[in-house]
Amino acid sequence: MINDTVVALSRWQFASTALYHFLFVPLTLGLTVFIASLETVYVVTGKSIYREMTQFWSKLLLINFALGVATGLTMEFEFGTNWSFYSGFVGDIFGAPLAIEGLMAFFMESTMIGLMIFGWDKLSRGQHLIVTYLVALGSNLSALWILVANGFMQDPQGAIFNPVTLRMELQSFSALIFSHDAQAKFVHTSIAGYVTAAIFVAGVSAYYMLKKRHLEIAKRSFRMATIFGVLSTIGVITLGDALGFIGAHAQPAKIAAMEAMWVTEPTPAPFNLAAWPNQAKQENTWALQIPYLLTPLLTHTMDTKIPGIAEIEADNVVRIKNGIPAVEALKLLSANPTDPAAMTQFKAHEQDLGYGFLVERYAQDQDVSKATDADIAKAAKDTIPDVFTIYWVFRIMVAFAFLMLAFFVFGVIYSLRNDIEKHPVYLRFAMWMIPVPFLACEMGWITAELGRQPWTVYNLLPTWMSASSHSVSYMVFSLIGFVSLYSIFIIIEMYLMVRAIKQGPDVHHGANTGGHTKDKSLGGSVLGGSYAPVHAKALMDEQSAKEV
Amino acid sequence: MKVIGYFLLFFVLAMILIVLAIILGDSAPWYFAWIIGTGLLILTSAAAGFMFDTQEDKAKGELQ
Repeated sequence: MINDTVVALSRWQFASTALYHFLFVPLTLGLTVFIASLETVYVVTGKSIYREMTQFWSKLLLINFALGVATGLTMEFEFGTNWSFYSGFVGDIFGAPLAIEGLMAFFMESTMIGLMIFGWDKLSRGQHLIVTYLVALGSNLSALWILVANGFMQDPQGAIFNPVTLRMELQSFSALIFSHDAQAKFVHTSIAGYVTAAIFVAGVSAYYMLKKRHLEIAKRSFRMATIFGVLSTIGVITLGDALGFIGAHAQPAKIAAMEAMWVTEPTPAPFNLAAWPNQAKQENTWALQIPYLLTPLLTHTMDTKIPGIAEIEADNVVRIKNGIPAVEALKLLSANPTDPAAMTQFKAHEQDLGYGFLVERYAQDQDVSKATDADIAKAAKDTIPDVFTIYWVFRIMVAFAFLMLAFFVFGVIYSLRNDIEKHPVYLRFAMWMIPVPFLACEMGWITAELGRQPWTVYNLLPTWMSASSHSVSYMVFSLIGFVSLYSIFIIIEMYLMVRAIKQGPDVHHGANTGGHTKDKSLGGSVLGGSYAPVHAKALMDEQSAKEV
Repeated sequence: MKVIGYFLLFFVLAMILIVLAIILGDSAPWYFAWIIGTGLLILTSAAAGFMFDTQEDKAKGELQ
C-alpha cells in the first residue's frame, strides 16, 4: 500500500533539491558562453584587459560550478532511492540520456574547466580559447541531456510499454532527443542561463561603477553583458512562446491551469491577465480579461479551440474508464504472459493505461475492477494540477522576463551612449536585479513540473505509483538533511562570491595593452587570490621586459 | 598551393555545414536555432567589446 505522506515528502525532497541545484545551474550555463565571448575579444585584439576580465569572471564561474556539481550529484541518486518504481518503469529510456550526460558532457566540462582555470601559462592563446569554448559547449550539452530526459517525462516520445516486462522500452533514440518538448525546453533553459549570466555580470559591474573601482573592466563587462542580455532575453521570450505552443498540444491540462481557463471559451478566447482561481469551485473569483488574446497567443491562430479544465476533466473520466480494462489485462499478463485474451484486451486499451493506474489509488484494495464512479470522479479531479499556484508562478516568471528585457534595453542605451556612470539609480537597480533571473528560472521549473502533475511520465505513470516505499520518518529525516546541507552550500556560495567580488579582478594590465593604463590602485590583490602564480609570472615577465 | 589548400578545406567545411544545417533544420529546428543563436550572441557581444574600445580610443583622441 502506497503511503500518500511518503509520496508527498518524496516530491518535496526532489523539488527542494532540484530548486536548490537550479540556483547554480543557469549561471554556469550562461557565464561559460559569456566568458567565451570575452576571451574571443582577447585573442583577436591581444588586449590584456580582456584576459583579466576573462580570468575574473572565470573565478566566479569556478565557485558557482563547484557548488553546482555538489548539489547536482545527489539528484541522480534520488531517482533510485526515492523513485524506485519510476526508475524501474522508465529506466531503459531515462537512464540513457543521464548516462550520456555524465560520460560525454559532464566529464568534458569538468576536465576542460580545469584546463581553463589553470592552463593560462601552459596553453597558447588559441588552445586556451578552444578549451574555453569546450567548457561552454560541455556545460550546455550537459543541460541538453538532462532536458532530453525531462522532455520524455513531459511528452514521452520514442518508447513503448512492454506488458510482459512491465517496463517502458526505447524504440527510437532520435524521437527521444528530437522531441519538440525537449528541443524547445533545452533552448529555453540554456538561453535563460545566458540571461542570468548577463544580469549577474551587469549587476557586479554596476557595483564596481558605483564604487568607482575597476572602471575599465566594469564598463567593458557591462557593455558586453547588456548586449548579450538583451538578445538572450528576446530569445527566452520567443522560446517561452514556443513551449506554450507545444504544450497546448501535448499537455492541455497544464496550459489550462497556466491560463486559469475553467471552461472552454468560444474562439478567439479571452486572456486572463490577472485572476484569482478557486480550485474547489472550479472558477475564478475575479478576473481581469483581455478579449480575443489567448487563442492567437497560444495557438498562433484565431479559431483553434483551447479546451477548458471542465472539458479536460470530463474527457479524462472516459479515459479512466477505458484504462481500467488495460490494468486488469496487465494483471492477467503478469500471471501468464502468453494469455492471448489478456493481450488482446490490453492492446485494445493500452493508450489509456496510465489513466487506469490513476484510479487504482482510490479503488477498494487498489483493485481497479472494484472502482466506483466516485473513485473515477476523484481520479479525474486529480488530472487537474494546482491551478492557483501554476497560474501565478507562471505570471511572475513572465513578468520577470519583461522586466529583464526593459532593464537590458535601458542598459544598452546608456552603455552605447557611454554615460552609464551618470545613472547611479539605474546602477543601484542593476545590483538589485541580480536575484531576478534566478527567481524566474525557479518559477519556470515550478510551472513545468507542478503543471505535469499528477504524472511523473505524462499520461503514462502517475506520481503516486512512482515513489519508493520508505517510512515517513526516513523521508522527514533525509528531507531535513538535504535542506540543511544545501542551505549551507548556498551560504558558502554567497560568502565566496561576495568575497571574490569585493576583492575584485587582479589588475595588472598595462604592458602590451594597446593603450590601457596599468592601474594597481583600483583594488584587488595583485598577487592574491587563486590566480597568484599566473599573475606573478605575468608581472615578472613585464619586469624582465622593462629591464631588457 | 597553400591558398588552394585553404580554399578546398573551407569549401568542404562549408559543404558539411550546409548538409548539417539541412538535416538539423528539418528534424531539429530549435537545436539548430540554438547553435546559430549562440554563435550570434558570442559574436555580437564580442563586437560590443570592440565598439567600446573604439569609442574609448576616439574619446581619448578628442581629449588630446
